[in-house]
Amino acid sequence: MMRRIFYIIDEALLTVKRHKGLTSISIVIMSLSLLMLAVFLLATDNVLKLVSEAQNEMKMYVYLDDGVSQDEAQSLYQKILQESEVSEVQFVSKDEAMEEFREQLGDDSDLVGTLRANPLPNSFLVTPKEEFKTRDAMVALAGRIEPLRGVEEVRYGREFLDKFASVLKALYFVNGVVGFIVILSALFIISNAVRLTVISRRKTIEILKLVGATNSYIVAPFIIEGAFQAGVAAVLSLALLWGVTVASRNVLPDLNFFSAQKSAVYLLTCVVIGSIGSFLALRRMLKMT
Amino acid sequence: MTEDATTNPGTQASANTERTVIGVYHLTREYGDRQALEDVSFTIANGEFVFMVGPSGAGKSTLLRMIYMDEYPTSGQVVVGPFVSTRMKRRDIPFLRRRVGIVFQDYKLLDDRTVFDNVAICMRITGASPFSIKRRVATLLNDVGLHHKQRQMPKALSGGEQQRVAIARALVNHPSILLADEPTGNLDPDSAEDILRLLFRINSAGTAVLMATHDHSFVKTFGQRILHLRDGKVLEDHRTGLVGNMGDRLEALRLQRDRERRVDKEIKRQRGDELSTRKSE
Repeated sequence: MMRRIFYIIDEALLTVKRHKGLTSISIVIMSLSLLMLAVFLLATDNVLKLVSEAQNEMKMYVYLDDGVSQDEAQSLYQKILQESEVSEVQFVSKDEAMEEFREQLGDDSDLVGTLRANPLPNSFLVTPKEEFKTRDAMVALAGRIEPLRGVEEVRYGREFLDKFASVLKALYFVNGVVGFIVILSALFIISNAVRLTVISRRKTIEILKLVGATNSYIVAPFIIEGAFQAGVAAVLSLALLWGVTVASRNVLPDLNFFSAQKSAVYLLTCVVIGSIGSFLALRRMLKMT
Repeated sequence: MTEDATTNPGTQASANTERTVIGVYHLTREYGDRQALEDVSFTIANGEFVFMVGPSGAGKSTLLRMIYMDEYPTSGQVVVGPFVSTRMKRRDIPFLRRRVGIVFQDYKLLDDRTVFDNVAICMRITGASPFSIKRRVATLLNDVGLHHKQRQMPKALSGGEQQRVAIARALVNHPSILLADEPTGNLDPDSAEDILRLLFRINSAGTAVLMATHDHSFVKTFGQRILHLRDGKVLEDHRTGLVGNMGDRLEALRLQRDRERRVDKEIKRQRGDELSTRKSE
């Protein structure tokens, strides 16, 4: 077993060493096609981050009747806080609401100055727990809070959520389709790049078959080589993408690069794609000779 | 060929595995309309030396390919030791090839590795230990007279030397038969004769040899069993009369040794001259 592994690694290294030119060409081709994949993944990553930020903004406003007393407000506060979905409840008084509103208006704040009474109600700002920041959970929660005595209205931007959900669904779908195409084309390009190396060594494969090498002995070094090439190409594509990300900080200040963990997963995925690609290229080859 | 053998080649072969290395029974191979081989039958016994002669296109290479099962017959059967073409599984082919040494006209060496590694790889793929590989390859390269060139790349060697590497490679796994497809086709007459002599030596050590060639002059000089192929059919399968040819053979060998001795002497003399001139300087 060990001998077999040594043989495979030896053979893979030998080819990389002896065919530097071809190896570098195929690495360049691979890194470009992987760059495409990386760009796609980075875009997805950033969009998902935006989505999750938007979901973190999911808050519920509970407006109170004007006649509600301090005690009643206190008990409402307790009741809302006891709901399992709720993580935080914050009281916002009429005056605080008006103050905030004034700030939001900015230059137009003198508009409010003409008001004789404050039309804004006392309210609770309810923050749901992380796992309940979904449309369905919000609907259920609102359904339970709304009938409570002293509650005038519950708002949580339902229409916005509805719209957001369908947009998200569309986004995920498009993302999935594009991702599928990008991964498939990366696989295709890598498989063809490996095929270059394979074809250049058609004679080697033929000879190995003639001297009685089993298919696994012939195939394994190529797969290791493909994995190696794809690994190097993946590192290159990441470096390129990182350069581009840094360079575009001026235009897109919120653009984030992959976390270390995600980079590692990306590298691993590329290595797997490389191995599969070379396996596919070889399968065709072995059938031919 | 006996009646038994023709009706039931499989059992006949297994009964005779001791003596028969290769059995070819009613072998026919068609490519579309063209018949490359037609009802070819013969057996080769352990330790035999057989020349397969015939013009190009007679089906020699095709026949050899069927023996190492790179191709299968349209009808008929090939038996190589325990391997029977009609009952062969694809994944068994590598194991057949390890018992059959193959030598080609174009050597088929791996240009990206040394002479040593070219021979060694055939043992590495069988999972042999590094020590036994080293020992066996060294012995074989010594046998073919290339021990001193084991670190060189094949392209740095002459044609005859490359073919000797190929022969060493073919022998590395102790095959019971060596198949040679025009092994001297690309060589000058002297190198060709060297290769032929090497093949004879291998044969006298017990390995059967089947050598395809279109060069009749060898066959005339070193009468052996001759399998004459033409248009895909066995025209003749005969052993040249040993008495008459033995004399020729010995005569040829004596002549050769004579020449070698003279050449050797001349080389030594030149060397001596060089040394003495160097000393005098």
